[in-house]
Amino acid sequence: MSDATVQGSHLSKSFGERRVIDDLSFEIAPGDVIGVLGKNGAGKTTLLELMLGFTPPSAGSVSLFGHPSLQLPGEVKSRVGFVPQQDELLDQLTVTDQLRVIESFYSQWDGELIARLCREWSVNTGSRIKNLSVGERQKLSILLAFGHRPHLLVLDEPVASLDPLARRQFLEQLVEASADGERAVIFSSHIVSDIERLANRIWILKNGKLDWQGDLDSLKESVARLHIRGAAEVIAGIEVPGAISLRRDAGFATAVVRDWQPELRQSLETMHAVTVEVESLSLEEIFLELHR
Amino acid sequence: MFVLKPQSGIPIYRQLLEQVRRMVASGQLPPGAELPSVRELALKHAVNPMTVSKAYTLLEAEGLLERNRGRPMTVASRPRNAAQLSRRLQQIQPLVEQTVLAAKQLELGEAELLKAVRENWENDDV
Repeated sequence: MSDATVQGSHLSKSFGERRVIDDLSFEIAPGDVIGVLGKNGAGKTTLLELMLGFTPPSAGSVSLFGHPSLQLPGEVKSRVGFVPQQDELLDQLTVTDQLRVIESFYSQWDGELIARLCREWSVNTGSRIKNLSVGERQKLSILLAFGHRPHLLVLDEPVASLDPLARRQFLEQLVEASADGERAVIFSSHIVSDIERLANRIWILKNGKLDWQGDLDSLKESVARLHIRGAAEVIAGIEVPGAISLRRDAGFATAVVRDWQPELRQSLETMHAVTVEVESLSLEEIFLELHR
Repeated sequence: MFVLKPQSGIPIYRQLLEQVRRMVASGQLPPGAELPSVRELALKHAVNPMTVSKAYTLLEAEGLLERNRGRPMTVASRPRNAAQLSRRLQQIQPLVEQTVLAAKQLELGEAELLKAVRENWENDDV
């Protein structure tokens, strides 16, 4: 058994002819905060559901805390928190009753934390769930996942309906929850700037494959956009080694490289008599460049 | 104390490295000065605590910061005095290059750029 919180091995999932997850192997360790990025339909939700054992893989396997996801003992389940894209709150209950129902599933429950979060996040505990707005439901659904202080927190697009203030409060709570370095968090989001703040590792899913995985700092340091200026005939024939995109205009070229090294700039400048300006990219720009 | 921009192409830990280096070089953070705790800084900026501790660990390895048991990290007590003028100038050089390039692209003259710099210099908010 390994120390990994989550371990996936050659994981695949197909729905009919369509292969949604394609031979993924990965590991999540305590202390990791993993941000999952991908276009709609890239397989993010399916991947998270496979991890949690909600659906069986077509091939390969995944385990949580050393136990196969499809047969998790109750003790292991109680170490996992999950915020689904569609909340599973019970319309007819009040917020207080809903909190009681969830609390009853767990032997450990941090009532103080929940009471504090209800206050800070302005969750009205007297309201009936069916009278909450979409954003309020989402807040409650997130809050519930923190109550048993999970060692693995899985969040599928948790902030889509939250206002900026609520999103910030949620991020602060994630910082709190991950500060001891013993817990792991994996969350998918289209709000790239949130992932940029919180994640130390990034998974970019593309057609069911991990197109890029690694730490965010390395990703930012290894991708660069080069703005190259020079004589029109030089630019017309210029090649940039390792470029994932290259656009040439008269006297001006733009290239994006994946394995940026400062030597590349020098060699371009001396070989071709051009000037090169280097621009580092935000995660959102990198994501867009990798999908061109 | 620090200005962190998560959406910049420069990783957050590097932004922090640069700012601490600059503030120590200039003496703005004198020997013995306390730095905010990892948790404090991470919460304030809503960034991953590991990112902050990565920067602190690197600064400790450089000999700029000292770890104190149970207390905040501090600026090393035997610092090279405020770094040589030439080193401090070297640290600001990339920013100067960028500014000059932008000025040329905007077809601003040297006098106009210097005037703008002077006005910013005299602005108390900076």
